[in-house]
Amino acid sequence: MSFLGRTGSMNGNASGVNSEKVEMAVTELDTVTDFFNRMVSSCYAKCISQRFAEGDLNKGESVCVDRCVSKYNEVQKKVGEKLQARGSANAASASSTFGTLS
Amino acid sequence: MDFSNFNAAEQAHMTKVIEKRQMQDFLKLYATLVEKCFNSCCNDFTSKALSSKEDQCISNCAEKFIKHSERVGARFAEINAEIMNASQNKS
Repeated sequence: MSFLGRTGSMNGNASGVNSEKVEMAVTELDTVTDFFNRMVSSCYAKCISQRFAEGDLNKGESVCVDRCVSKYNEVQKKVGEKLQARGSANAASASSTFGTLS
Repeated sequence: MDFSNFNAAEQAHMTKVIEKRQMQDFLKLYATLVEKCFNSCCNDFTSKALSSKEDQCISNCAEKFIKHSERVGARFAEINAEIMNASQNKS
């Protein structure tokens, strides 16, 4: 790849790839994929009947899946908020602890 | 995900990574589908061949799971588009 030369990236290495940026993107890709796969299996377990009389989703299952996806996303948001609140509370108490120590 | 601020080499790298992940995802899907459909369709071991009933059950099971995951994907894409729009309108 090095024969391509520098492709305008200021902080790129010899191959022009900013590895930090790419690594972040790969992590994001993996996170979203994992989230999606978990959502698929949760909603499958909760909505899809195990009697395989036909290959199509029936009406009830379809509606259930739609709502399930929406709820799953809301749960993600809520749990995220909770974790964030806890995180910032911890950070605040940690900084005050260190504040008294130093 | 937005890779538009990536240079050519970075985009090539991402494409490679995505292709590899797609292959892995496909193999994982294959394995889980076999497991899921085997467990829900095959409960009678008085014969070593799949009965026509089991055969039908398995093809319905596989088809249904694929349709299910497509539907989840479609709804998920809609929700993401909504979030993207909302954040764009804010800024």
